[in-house]
Amino acid sequence: MRELIVPGEMIAESPEQSKGTFIEAGKTYSAVLGLYDSETNRLIPLKGAYIPQADEFVIGVVEEARFSSYNIDIGSVYKGYLSAKEVREDLKVGDVVAARVSLVDEVRNVDLTEPRLLSGGEVIAIPAVKVPRVIGKEGSMLKMLEQATGCQILVGKNGRIWISGQKPDLAVTAVLKIEREAHTSGLTDRMKAFLEKGGA
Amino acid sequence: MVGIVPEGAPTLVVGGKRIDGRAFDELRPIRMEVGVLNRADGSAYLEWGRNKVMVGVYGPRECIPRHEADPFRAVLHIGYSMAAFSSMEERNRPGPNRRAREISKVMRHAFENVVLLEQFPKTAIDVRCEILQSDGGTRCSAITATALALADAGIPMRDLVTSVAVGKAGGELMTDLGKEEDNFGEADMPLAFSMRTREILLLQQDGLLTKEEIQKMIRMGFDAAAKIRKMQVEALRRKYK
Repeated sequence: MRELIVPGEMIAESPEQSKGTFIEAGKTYSAVLGLYDSETNRLIPLKGAYIPQADEFVIGVVEEARFSSYNIDIGSVYKGYLSAKEVREDLKVGDVVAARVSLVDEVRNVDLTEPRLLSGGEVIAIPAVKVPRVIGKEGSMLKMLEQATGCQILVGKNGRIWISGQKPDLAVTAVLKIEREAHTSGLTDRMKAFLEKGGA
Repeated sequence: MVGIVPEGAPTLVVGGKRIDGRAFDELRPIRMEVGVLNRADGSAYLEWGRNKVMVGVYGPRECIPRHEADPFRAVLHIGYSMAAFSSMEERNRPGPNRRAREISKVMRHAFENVVLLEQFPKTAIDVRCEILQSDGGTRCSAITATALALADAGIPMRDLVTSVAVGKAGGELMTDLGKEEDNFGEADMPLAFSMRTREILLLQQDGLLTKEEIQKMIRMGFDAAAKIRKMQVEALRRKYK
């Protein structure tokens, strides 16, 4: 049974580092609205801005093309910086790229590396906190989505999702349904039924 | 009011009860709703007695004006504003007056103690409170609603902030002053708390009070705030049923 946790609510009597929590006097408290997972003993934040971290896989849109670098919108208040040296063919504003965050410094300058241009398809955005639900336990939800829609679905940790294939509309509807119902239980079964009915 | 009951003022305590029939420690009816503005990152609508407040939270986002940005933490911008139609008496000019700017400032001080600003360097968290209808206690309504809107936006905080005003009218200490009690009473003390740590985040006083009265009023404030915090939690839970 998952109950909604509110900011300031204690979740552990000992200090445990995890996203969306803070430690005070040796105890761990939630800082945001979230659900408490009693199996893993962790807080699952339901809301929150995306803050990039090193090694995360993200999908972004080129916002600005300068002489030797690009500014990439990765759905965060902090923009991604991509050096032109990393890119084989020049990018233009509006291009969709997948990349990895190589470094985030203490003033939140975000460096991106290993860029890959994504052509065609479409990109949708969901809050970054809901991404684990779209992927599912060991990727089970994502695999189910890809099979049912005949699409390749790349999920960025930043909440940007690239969809390309046979039934992209069904994929988009399904992902948005997961986003709306992320906090409920029994979602995996409901999604299975939803996809089998072709999105009804 | 300055501690002296002005001439022609209504009698505020009749037969041991307040003019609206409430007990001295009784709150006006409060209604809270979270997530009411589509375009805001977080929002809340709150009705407290005849007060109506709408709060929108935007951020963390780019800090404008740029020169205010802090390289180590987010800047909290809080704007308290009364709509032109909010007062039941005069048609007042819209936009912040001196009082509104002061309330914005003390609200900012209160929330700077709980919002984890260090998590968003160089950004701003913009909070806009609009008083749609005012009937005494709008800053307490605005603070209580702002806590909900910040939580709805996923802004990390050490605790919710809960606010209520306690005061003295007709010679009696009472919780949650209405407009007449505020205007014609002897003293008004808005308070805001972090109920988890029992810290006082806002305390203002208008009027004359003895030390014992203040101590008692703060205790009354804590008691009332405990009830209000339960309502805040319930309003947040209702959004995610």
